Amino acid sequence: MATIASGALVNLEELVQSSPHFKHGISLRVIGKLQDYDVETAVAVIVDRNASLKVDTQHLNINLRIGSIFQFIGELLLEPDHEAILKARVGRNIDGMDLNLYRQSLQLLRDFQAGR
Amino acid sequence: MDALQLLNTHVKLLAFDFLTLKPIPHEPTSFSRKGRRLSRAETVGIVVSRDFKPNRFIKFDIDDGTGCIPCILWLNQESSPHFSRRCPSHVRLIAQMAAEFASQVQLGVIARVRGRITSYRGNLQITVSDVVIERDPNSQILHWLDCLRLARNCYDKVMVPP
Repeated sequence: MATIASGALVNLEELVQSSPHFKHGISLRVIGKLQDYDVETAVAVIVDRNASLKVDTQHLNINLRIGSIFQFIGELLLEPDHEAILKARVGRNIDGMDLNLYRQSLQLLRDFQAGR
Repeated sequence: MDALQLLNTHVKLLAFDFLTLKPIPHEPTSFSRKGRRLSRAETVGIVVSRDFKPNRFIKFDIDDGTGCIPCILWLNQESSPHFSRRCPSHVRLIAQMAAEFASQVQLGVIARVRGRITSYRGNLQITVSDVVIERDPNSQILHWLDCLRLARNCYDKVMVPP
């Protein structure tokens, strides 16, 4: 079995064109509230604070409920107009996650990794 | 007893840390981290791959956000010569438990996995002894914080000979 790429932890607000994570094919892990979902295309839109991201959920078998918080792992695809879409390979409902604790802990985790 | 002895403890390591463990020459069951000998590990993360061979094994990867840890759970207890001298009813129980763990390991679940640190073809992995599926989405965050605290306060401590 080939080694699978880990989804780098990013906040949606950090996913801007100048970010090192804004690259075609890069593996990411994101979280956000489900704002929109198109049943025909299986494309969802998640939002976190002032940022949003399209997520292709066609390979997932989960119940996507508008307003719930979801976590997705997948590969970022950059479309010709530079719009990004995450092709999700894993997704889960994370309603109940303490998002403030998540953000603070993510920063501690990054500081820890940077100090290694 | 040495309070810093970690050899038979399930050490909670982040994947990026786990994947830098070094084999110890002539000690196939031990690995080294900052000069400390380890043999067991615990991880928590999302199951991102699954390769199931009935009655043989299930291989899966746990992504904790810092890396992916390959895991293998053996399912061949009732046919393996390794278990042939053990009590058949015990072996059957171990096999049933392993099969139950295997059925719980599905793509997208958060799994807490404990087991022996092993190496296969030069790649580190966990040979799984038990699996708990975590329902609380905060469990991943709490595992990160546990790993950070334990690394700073325990695992990174330099051993001082008595």
